Amino acid sequence: MSVPRADGLGPARSSSAQALPQWLSQNEPGLPPCERSGRRLRTTFLDRTLAEGSDLLRRALSAQDVATRDGLLQRRDPRAKLLGLFVLLLAVALVHDLRTLAAAHLLVLGAALASRVPVRSFLARIWLAVPAFTAVAVLPATLSVVTPGEVLVPLWSWHGTAHGPTVQGLTVAARILLRATTSVSLATLVAVTTPWPRLLAALRSLGLPSMFVLVVGMAHRYLLLLLGSVIDLYQARRARTLTRRAGRRRSHDRQARRFLAASTGVLFGRAHRMSEEVHQAMTARGYRGDVPLPATCRVAGRDVAALFAVAAVAAALLIGDRALGS
Amino acid sequence: MHIPDGYLSPQTCVAAYAVAVPTWAVASRKVEKVVLTRNVPLLAVSAALSFLIMMFNVPIPDGTSAHAVGAVIIAIVLGPWAAVLAVSVALLFQALLFGDGGILAYGANVVNMAVVMPFAGWWTYRALAGRSALTSRRRTLAAGLGGYVGINAAALATAVEFGLQPGLFHDADGTALYAPYDLSQAIPAMALPHLTIVGVGEAILTAGVLAYLVRTDPSRLAPSHDDVLARQNTPTQNGAQDGELVGRAGRGFLRSPGRAAVGAMAVLVALVPLGLLAPGGAFGEDAPEELDLGELGLRAVPEGLDRFYGFWSHTLLADYGFADGSHAQMAYWLSAVLGIAVVGATVLAVGRVLETVHGRGTAGSEGPGSDCPAPGGSR
Repeated sequence: MSVPRADGLGPARSSSAQALPQWLSQNEPGLPPCERSGRRLRTTFLDRTLAEGSDLLRRALSAQDVATRDGLLQRRDPRAKLLGLFVLLLAVALVHDLRTLAAAHLLVLGAALASRVPVRSFLARIWLAVPAFTAVAVLPATLSVVTPGEVLVPLWSWHGTAHGPTVQGLTVAARILLRATTSVSLATLVAVTTPWPRLLAALRSLGLPSMFVLVVGMAHRYLLLLLGSVIDLYQARRARTLTRRAGRRRSHDRQARRFLAASTGVLFGRAHRMSEEVHQAMTARGYRGDVPLPATCRVAGRDVAALFAVAAVAAALLIGDRALGS
Repeated sequence: MHIPDGYLSPQTCVAAYAVAVPTWAVASRKVEKVVLTRNVPLLAVSAALSFLIMMFNVPIPDGTSAHAVGAVIIAIVLGPWAAVLAVSVALLFQALLFGDGGILAYGANVVNMAVVMPFAGWWTYRALAGRSALTSRRRTLAAGLGGYVGINAAALATAVEFGLQPGLFHDADGTALYAPYDLSQAIPAMALPHLTIVGVGEAILTAGVLAYLVRTDPSRLAPSHDDVLARQNTPTQNGAQDGELVGRAGRGFLRSPGRAAVGAMAVLVALVPLGLLAPGGAFGEDAPEELDLGELGLRAVPEGLDRFYGFWSHTLLADYGFADGSHAQMAYWLSAVLGIAVVGATVLAVGRVLETVHGRGTAGSEGPGSDCPAPGGSR
């Protein structure tokens, strides 16, 4: 399996090799956590970026952890999973009745349970992060200004016409919200139950150009490395910076902007250098531009059966939707 | 700006993939052409970089923050075709690993952020920077404006995709099945924050990174600035190779009449949905009986207008339909396709003539394979 090799470590080793030992990540019981005492520090956008960065890293690693458990979806061939994902996404995009969409969402949750995905964090990830944006975006659509129709609660009137949320508007908003959430939960479920190298191999054998898959695999590898670089840059700067706690916001932000531009520039330089070194290393190991294909094993009968089951579910959703709609 | 699944109809998604896939093919051919092996790690780290840039939240003077896409700065450093691939890979990560942006909508996201944005930004940057020196203030400003134009073009493309949904896909009582905002709502809603806040963020990032690279590490800019560097006589260690890798795009692109014709048609076809925004009818296109004579201060239809109206009636598809009025929908589409083909062919023919004339004028000064830009030909 050459593509997974490009990714560096196998899934099982990566989680154990890159995770901190437990004693290091535990807080000492007697000591208060740093920076919590005294006045609260104003967080800059850099702090937020850093927090997001380490969160990203943690999520990427914990996803690998779920992928190695023994569950419904983990046992299926990644190719079957990708095809099934596509079929179901299409079905979800084509059904319009709220009840059908809700049923599809429940089905995804059932599959998540059967795959031993930690349901609370799964739900939190989908229902807090994703629709938070979507809900804000579709909120105006509930009003009669955007979606004319039967006004439920008149909020104001304009030239004698009452305006407010309409039945049709609420339907539109609920439809988008449910559809977006169900689609995201489908994609997330496949992503967390499939080790990243196997997902890449599946993309390759489903016909994506090998060059593209190689780039994707390597980018994933260097993403974590470059992210480490960013965190190093930031921490090095913080360790060397003495400022008053309540600095003026404007100059604070200006400095932060300058630092951001400079650190992105540094990253460009590092990335470029890194790519040259990697290229030399690849050529030294015999890379001539062609990518050897990963050994593709035959799709097992069970996976074909699973794919048929998925197709049946999709068909049932579509038929059910037509029946409910008429 | 990452469109999640559920906002666009499957038909729109298919159309977006139909734009994205050929662009990828061209981009990988362009990037692959010269140096076969170098580009893999280069693209990989650029994709990772693009992903990281999308994570940065840039503070804006009004106290809020916005995240940049970084497609324009990547286009400036590596060339627009490499940016297409790098940003596409970054978007694929976000869709597959983090659920940010849909999978069916991936093609649309690629079109907006990985195709429209780097090219709009790159062309703006090239046009504004002109032949100025790398260290000049004008170039930094051009980069900032490139970022601003790039992200706004991407936002406009996104808004048009959203805005087309309610008109095309709604159920029997007119309720939208996908995104509910029509063009007159989606375009201002997207344009306002992008023209004011997000665009400024992108401009700050693009200009800042370019200024930093020029100050500290100009050799990194060699791939896409070989002409500028050559003029400055600054020797760079790998400028020649990298320059060939990604530096060709943009320069002389429109000098091939075929490409110019296709490009012009693509732009016009892409702008068609904007026609839905315009209220009323087109000025000066009314038939005599439709004229509001009183408003125009006339008592009768002018004699000449009356005489010559309908002078030529031997058209192939009168009123965009067949003579007997059958298959109205199909005839309308046929008219559109025919019109595109005719206009495209005309532009092509004009281009060929111009090329022949121009070619005679400069044949002596520029040999085949010459690396210098033609006098006055390239920006």
